[in-house]
Amino acid sequence: MRLVIDPTRCHGHGTCAELLDEYIRLDKWHYPIIAKQKVSVSHADLLRRAAQLCPELAISVVDD
Amino acid sequence: MIESVSVSIMAPTGPRRLSQGWESAHRPAPSGRVAFVSDLSTRPRLVMPLAEHVAAYGRLPGGLTLGMTLDTLRAANLTGRGGAGFPFWKKLQAVATAESRKSPVVIANGSESEPLSKKDTLLLKNNPHLVLDGISLVAGLLGAKSAYLYVKDREAHSAVNAAMRERRERGITELRVTIVEAPAGYVSGQETAVVRRIAKGPALPQFSMDRIASSGLRGAPTLLSNVETFAHVAMILRFGSEWYRQGGQGGDRGTRLLTIIGAVGRPGVYELSPGASLAEVLRETEAPDPRAVLFGGYFGRWLDLSAPHTAKFPMDDAALAEHRLSFGAGVLGVVGRETCPVVEAAAITEYLAGQSAGQCGPCLHGLPEISTAMARIALSSDVERGMHDLRSVIPLVEHRGGCQHPDGVIQLVRSTVGAFAEEVKLHRSGRCTAQGSHTSMLLPPGASVSAGGAA
Repeated sequence: MRLVIDPTRCHGHGTCAELLDEYIRLDKWHYPIIAKQKVSVSHADLLRRAAQLCPELAISVVDD
Repeated sequence: MIESVSVSIMAPTGPRRLSQGWESAHRPAPSGRVAFVSDLSTRPRLVMPLAEHVAAYGRLPGGLTLGMTLDTLRAANLTGRGGAGFPFWKKLQAVATAESRKSPVVIANGSESEPLSKKDTLLLKNNPHLVLDGISLVAGLLGAKSAYLYVKDREAHSAVNAAMRERRERGITELRVTIVEAPAGYVSGQETAVVRRIAKGPALPQFSMDRIASSGLRGAPTLLSNVETFAHVAMILRFGSEWYRQGGQGGDRGTRLLTIIGAVGRPGVYELSPGASLAEVLRETEAPDPRAVLFGGYFGRWLDLSAPHTAKFPMDDAALAEHRLSFGAGVLGVVGRETCPVVEAAAITEYLAGQSAGQCGPCLHGLPEISTAMARIALSSDVERGMHDLRSVIPLVEHRGGCQHPDGVIQLVRSTVGAFAEEVKLHRSGRCTAQGSHTSMLLPPGASVSAGGAA
């Protein structure tokens, strides 16, 4: 599983970084940088919920 | 398929160039390897009529199979002429083998969004039949149900329309090509922007986890390539891969159209045959005192001509790759002693920052910062800070856009401070080697930026 952000959708709300501080940090313009792309299976539900909470629906959790 | 399935190809006479028969302005170098095709004027030209086109190139080959064609194109090693230089046979194979319930789609990109490039428009205005031949052949091989030509220039648009009418009147039955108008803007020619525009959306890049070869226009496997690439396909499938390679080994050994501009006496579009040296190109374009060449267009890389042996190497992609250069979008920008290449690059960077689609945060916010840093270096206002800012901002922008735009700008910037490290050092002490004014020779007409113009 991996985390993918569509940069054309993201408007830098920063919700993802609050919910997923282990996976995402924000750059100086408040846009997300994926710090850890591989998702551990135990976090899969949390990541899917975070993806749903993104105001722009810019986050996907992709099954490899 | 096209006309009859006859395999008797009329033997064409004269040089088999893309630009064969375009005007009479040909004046090839003694070696014939650097052929002047046209100046940069936009006046209407004579379109080659179908009969003349067939007399020059012969009829389209019939009875081609996909496997045969892939072999031929692979042996020819034709690479895309739009910028990325991807092997065409791989693209064709990817679309042909894509698992999809939808029929493949063929798109020829003639939008020529590279501001200094004129070669695609010229090709479409002078011989639209060659491009239509290529589209027709590829669409036939893929069993495509729709084909599109994406074009910006109005005259090119009407030339293609007239050519399609002529083909219908002559009883050629082939897939009808839909012409879609490309809007202005640097990013409008990006692959995903083209697909989005043809689907009646905005001409803006789109993020996708799928390649367009498997899921492009409305989810269909999509073959998108530059119009010049299609013209080469039409030639290779007539005359063969051996003819295309002219006995050469390694890399793409075909001819290519180049727009050559900047500090040259004869700016224009040239058809270049491999083997010509850079020195030959500079002589033919009448560059009086060239100092550097920007290879490939605005997303390109610099060659500093003061480095030894640089003018001698052959102009083919294998030799260029050794210098980490490529033909890119088919533009060579020559800088002489009058202007400073760092100032030129800063002006281009500012222009490109303004051309961001503004969809992705790192590009929207990062490119203006990169541009400001380049201006500080170019104008010697604060070189130290400019270099520091480049080092800190570039990692925040690189690989973080939805399209190649930010990475293309970064490539130019990196190449500039790398190739002209000595010049940058000079700027630190407030000096510059440019003998003339701080204006740019490489900006598109009408572009207004402050870095190049205001110094």
